[in-house]
Amino acid sequence: MEELLEFCINLALDLGSEYAEARFQSDTGESMILKNGVPEASLFKEAKGISLRVLYKGSMGFASTNKTTKRDAASAVKRACKLAKAASRVLKKEVSMGEGELGSDKVVVKPRVKFDYVDLGSKIELMKEADERAVEAAKEAGAELPARMFTMGTLTTEKAVLTSDGADVTSVVPRAAFSAFLTAHDTQRGTVQRSFNLGESAGWEAVERWNLPELMCEESYSLAKTLKEAVSPSKGAMDIVLGPEVVGLVSHESSGHPGEADRILGREAAQAGETYLKMDSLGMRVGSDVLNVADDPTIDHSFGFYMYDDEGVKARKRILIKEGRINEFLQNRESASVFGVQSNGSSRASAYNREPIVRMANTFLEPGNFSKEELIEGVKDGVYIKNFMEWNIDDRRFNQRYVGLEAYRIENGELKERVRNPVLEMTTVGLWSAIDAVGKDLEFQAAYCGKSDPMQALPVWTGGPHARLRGVRLGGA
Amino acid sequence: MTEGQVPLQIVKFGLDRGATDVVAKLIEYDTTMIRFSNNEITVSKNYREAVVDIFLMIEKQRADLIIPLASTRALESGVERLINMAKITPPADVYAPLPEGPFSYDPSIQASPKISTTPDRVVGYVEKAIEEAREMRAKKVAGSLIASKARIDLATSGNVSAFREKASLEISVRAFASDIASGHFVSIAENEDDFRPGEAGRMAGEIANASLSPAAGEAGRYTALLGPLVFADLVNQVGALSSAFMVDAGRSFLIGKKGLGVASDKFTLTDDPTFKGTYGARAFDDEGVPARRNVIVEKGVLRTYLHNSTTAKKFDEDTTGNAGLINPHPWNLVVEPGDGTFEELIAEIDDGVYVTNDWYLRYQNYQTGDFSTIPRDGMFRIKHGRIENPIRELRISDNMLRIFKNIRDLSRGRYWIKWWEVGIPTLTPYSVVEDLNFTKSTM
Repeated sequence: MEELLEFCINLALDLGSEYAEARFQSDTGESMILKNGVPEASLFKEAKGISLRVLYKGSMGFASTNKTTKRDAASAVKRACKLAKAASRVLKKEVSMGEGELGSDKVVVKPRVKFDYVDLGSKIELMKEADERAVEAAKEAGAELPARMFTMGTLTTEKAVLTSDGADVTSVVPRAAFSAFLTAHDTQRGTVQRSFNLGESAGWEAVERWNLPELMCEESYSLAKTLKEAVSPSKGAMDIVLGPEVVGLVSHESSGHPGEADRILGREAAQAGETYLKMDSLGMRVGSDVLNVADDPTIDHSFGFYMYDDEGVKARKRILIKEGRINEFLQNRESASVFGVQSNGSSRASAYNREPIVRMANTFLEPGNFSKEELIEGVKDGVYIKNFMEWNIDDRRFNQRYVGLEAYRIENGELKERVRNPVLEMTTVGLWSAIDAVGKDLEFQAAYCGKSDPMQALPVWTGGPHARLRGVRLGGA
Repeated sequence: MTEGQVPLQIVKFGLDRGATDVVAKLIEYDTTMIRFSNNEITVSKNYREAVVDIFLMIEKQRADLIIPLASTRALESGVERLINMAKITPPADVYAPLPEGPFSYDPSIQASPKISTTPDRVVGYVEKAIEEAREMRAKKVAGSLIASKARIDLATSGNVSAFREKASLEISVRAFASDIASGHFVSIAENEDDFRPGEAGRMAGEIANASLSPAAGEAGRYTALLGPLVFADLVNQVGALSSAFMVDAGRSFLIGKKGLGVASDKFTLTDDPTFKGTYGARAFDDEGVPARRNVIVEKGVLRTYLHNSTTAKKFDEDTTGNAGLINPHPWNLVVEPGDGTFEELIAEIDDGVYVTNDWYLRYQNYQTGDFSTIPRDGMFRIKHGRIENPIRELRISDNMLRIFKNIRDLSRGRYWIKWWEVGIPTLTPYSVVEDLNFTKSTM
């Protein structure tokens, strides 16, 4: 494959490109859908091919093909160059590739238990067992679980990235993923729903570790309890403790996305939007002193794991917010050249036929010193929001809404009854500034982050410990 | 063997190896996308691919395979793998044999007109959109242009062997008059004559310019005028969640509502893939069944869920020609128009909000329909029948069924909408919704 990529690079340079990047990517995996305890179908997908990205007089062209013969590859190179040339006629501001620590390396994540070692039937049986336990647990809590949908997927991604200025990186990463959607029902109380994902860059051992039957038992029991017992929360100013699942989402939506350099430059303006941050926002205070948010692709087994990005730049941990101030943006080589900085290895593409753009990997609030109990003990009147169902944020990443699912009233430092659908609707700076204490119990959740056009859904972790917010208004305006 | 014969060959091979039913689809496409921002082209992209999708059943055991088009031997090996997968997949609850053909298809829908995707032509579309938006005093313009040509060859063990060719053009334009004053509009078409990149740019620019210096919006309940982009987003929810698969999965506010009122009697929604010359027209579904016009909601009453043969059997109904082999889905949504012009709709609103676009729609509960979504781009206060001033930073936090039941009026003029946030092409008017709940951030 490397020979073919090299051929593509040389051809692109021969055709007048000042920069060329060739990438092979193969995503091979199977998935199973279990709906209401019944297998819908088993699915196998192999998506593989090559893409070329070129710069011609500062104009960027991209072409892909899933036919990997030399002739088809040459055709893709020519198409990329032809498109770039056509656009270069009307271009006033040229694109260039900034500096970055280019790699020459091979990264292989070895699964302890290969996906093939476990047959498909056993995988589905595991899902069925989890489904049965979920139904039983809900029943034990006094509710039905009439609608359930589980999806289990295993995926192996192989990549090779070669650039005309020296990057030469290959990688093999297996990923295991599970998603669940549950509906609990009670004749008197209606329905509540829960959706969540699990995911790791690992082999089948990750699925074994998740202990799906036990997990689904806990999730369903709690969901049913929420349905049966939760009461409307009081509204108004109070203290809030957020669980790691909510903190992780906030870190992703309200720190990771606004800190993407391509958003700052307006490159995503018509789709995923822009950001309230500007090129000169480094150092700007956006939160309290205890706030430190990072994005780190290099965390072992993380869902967003990589050691080199899709421009061949070495990955590293990025401190996005340090002690409440904007510290660093996520950069690829294209954005880095505009900012006059080095790429920090944030370029990712979801498949061979997608352009690499600035993306997050694993975004999280750095842990502090408090235990969960200490955080709650410090609240006289408030609410603990453990997880959520509804959320969204505006396209400048400044106004967000999180609606809690499993949540409890806090009175004089103790958890009391469950409360239903507490609404937190506030600005990014308002939310980050209200945090006065951060837990030490860092946890991660899997998610799929959507961005770009065509849409690229990428595996990420979102994470954080428990965190306490002082004096925020619950219930929205 | 030509590439077009590949699906038939796969079906035959699958049946020989013990499948009771086989669907094979060869998809070849050539798509060019130009992305632009800050009045400049940021990247020009082309995807050219050939993919084979094979679905087979051994009665209640089902498996699906998607792989690149490869040699006959490799494809046969894929089918053998699929047979093995199906054999060890526990049985589903129903077995519905594939619909038996042959069927006849409308040849005028099977093949759409040719379009040019030469680099100069597609770059020209982008230049036109930017130019028109800037003429409306937009300072910066961003968006995507997509020109696509596809051919699909389908064969099934139900005696189906068919092809369709599809061409399409679409542009999505977002114009900015300032950092916080923007407008968005789109144009989609199956042919070059109906494609209006300049108009999309001009409308985006107009909205952007009108939304300069917005005031802070006030939370509350208002009569809302929803622009075509917003209403298409909501209508997409009705279309997508009328899928019987989604109903069965508990992910729909239409569960148990067939034959019941789910919207105002002003609202009629059809899925019409037979609408010739339109972006979403198609001759057949993924089981080879002729795609047909289905009335989903008629004068506010839910008439049907959308089915493939498997969901139809499960619901004891007939397929509606909307396969999706796993999940049925709509092809081309059409909302019946109302009587008034845009100006007349505004004139009827005494105290309201006009929302031109939204994004990030998320449910609190799919079954109840509780959700929120965020207006973006121009949003305006309406007072005493006229647009008073631009506003910003409000959120629509309400309930799908309540919104559709509160439709008071629809405009006569309609627009085809499809973009990043609205996946199903939708012909939609402006809509007036009473008592829509808007919330906002508290700090």
